[in-house]
Amino acid sequence: MNLWLWFWTFCLLVAGASFAFITVVVTIKGAKDLQQWFKTLQQQNRE
Amino acid sequence: MNFTFVDWAIVATYLAASVGIGLLGKRYVGTVSHYLVAGRELGLYVGIATLAATEIGTITFMYNAELGYKYGFAAFAAAIISGIVMIIVGRTGFVISKFRELKLMTVPEYFEIKYSRGLRIVTGILVAIGGILNMGVFLKIEGEFLTIVSGINARHIVAVMTVILLLELLYTVLGGMVSVVITDFIQYVLLSIATILVSIYAVYFAGWGNIVNKVTTVMGDGGFDPITNPKFGITFLVWQILLWFSVHTCWQTTAMRMFSTKSPETSKRVMTWTGFIFLGRGMLPMLWGIAALTLYGTGALSNGVPAPVVNGATLTPIDAMPAMLANILGPGIRGIVVAGMLAATMSVNSSYLLGWSAVISQDVILPIRQALGKGALSSRGQIFVNRVANLFVSLFLMFWGLYYTPPGAVYLYLNITGTIFLAGAFVCVIGGIYWSRSNTTGGYVAMISGAAGAIIPFFFLHWSENVTGFVAFGLAGAGLIVGSLLGRQRARESQEAIATD
Repeated sequence: MNLWLWFWTFCLLVAGASFAFITVVVTIKGAKDLQQWFKTLQQQNRE
Repeated sequence: MNFTFVDWAIVATYLAASVGIGLLGKRYVGTVSHYLVAGRELGLYVGIATLAATEIGTITFMYNAELGYKYGFAAFAAAIISGIVMIIVGRTGFVISKFRELKLMTVPEYFEIKYSRGLRIVTGILVAIGGILNMGVFLKIEGEFLTIVSGINARHIVAVMTVILLLELLYTVLGGMVSVVITDFIQYVLLSIATILVSIYAVYFAGWGNIVNKVTTVMGDGGFDPITNPKFGITFLVWQILLWFSVHTCWQTTAMRMFSTKSPETSKRVMTWTGFIFLGRGMLPMLWGIAALTLYGTGALSNGVPAPVVNGATLTPIDAMPAMLANILGPGIRGIVVAGMLAATMSVNSSYLLGWSAVISQDVILPIRQALGKGALSSRGQIFVNRVANLFVSLFLMFWGLYYTPPGAVYLYLNITGTIFLAGAFVCVIGGIYWSRSNTTGGYVAMISGAAGAIIPFFFLHWSENVTGFVAFGLAGAGLIVGSLLGRQRARESQEAIATD
């Protein structure tokens, strides 16, 4: 049981840290992605 | 009423902003490709946000918390499998790269390219039935969450959920995938903040040591070891691996995000990074469920687990987590968390509405129309048919979703309804891409035997979910092989068509 507990604790820490880290990165860089995407869609609509 | 004025103000601001921004998406929709697959121009980060937001809803938090409450840390195995399988699919490009190269809009569209128009229609019907039944339980469970956390009288929940459904329907119908992606981005940020906040609160209030002790006392080794846990075991784990490979490749709403990315390479990167989010998507709400067990699991034993008792009332395990949130979150924080959960609800529902209505319009209505000898519809005509299908799906959900109660654990109900079409679809797609002898006869046998293998054992013979899942995938695989070997060989031409597409 102890081994499983250590394993789940480690997995939980990795999962929580990844979740928080990716949230921050996606929030910052995603805004730029959105702007670029809008420009492309507008261009496609003009063509 | 648990909500204060501040909480209501936060929720109202979120709803207004979300719908307003969603409506802006309409101005960018020019073609059916914009409406269904965002013009195939999504970059990595928006791709991650929209995929994560699509597959993380209040329903996800509820069923994962229920699993955590009932099975303790052993439930984490399901979350780990879903995340790791997603990372493997992303790294290898298994199925998704080929799908993206083919420039599909829906999964059943592949069946016409590889097999036949008839099989595309059959698959479209099965995908729509399985998907809508799957989504059918969302509203009721999301409504339960909102009722318990906000303290709204349960009598008003039908009205509240109807208004929320209408709001998300409004921007989804008008702006299609463009509006869904814009709102998904905002909703992803908000739901992630709520997820992190709740995780901190749950561990702080329950205490890590108490959480471990409670699981040890109530469940013993089975609360930690998924192999010895009577509900799980090796069969469950293997079935979950199969199921998650099929979900990450053939689930319409996930696949639509892959179709919407800039390139096959981008789709692989989106899938890989979202795999890491999927670890937290499962494990964090499971932890909330275990924290709820620790704080409130004091009632009579049911299947070896004490029922939650909150403020003197005995609840079901699935309601333990929202009841815990209503008690531990303070004013303001409660509003942020509920806004985050509403964001999760709206992102999932809008994406699912679009996904299933796309299948009905593109894979059922339009191919039947073509088979009847009518000409192809213009882009504008196709958008109109999609919008009508969207309305139809919403109407069904309002009547079915608010009154139907699923039997047993919700996670397993969702698994089985998904398996109705996933078993056959996954087998046919794998066969279509990697086995040159697969043909239309095999495809029909696989789709029908996969669906029968999910429905008959589970709903009529009352076999366990694990065995049902194995039977469905096994029958579908056997059906494809036997049907293809017995049927006429037509596959090579199609295979060449795919290779040169």
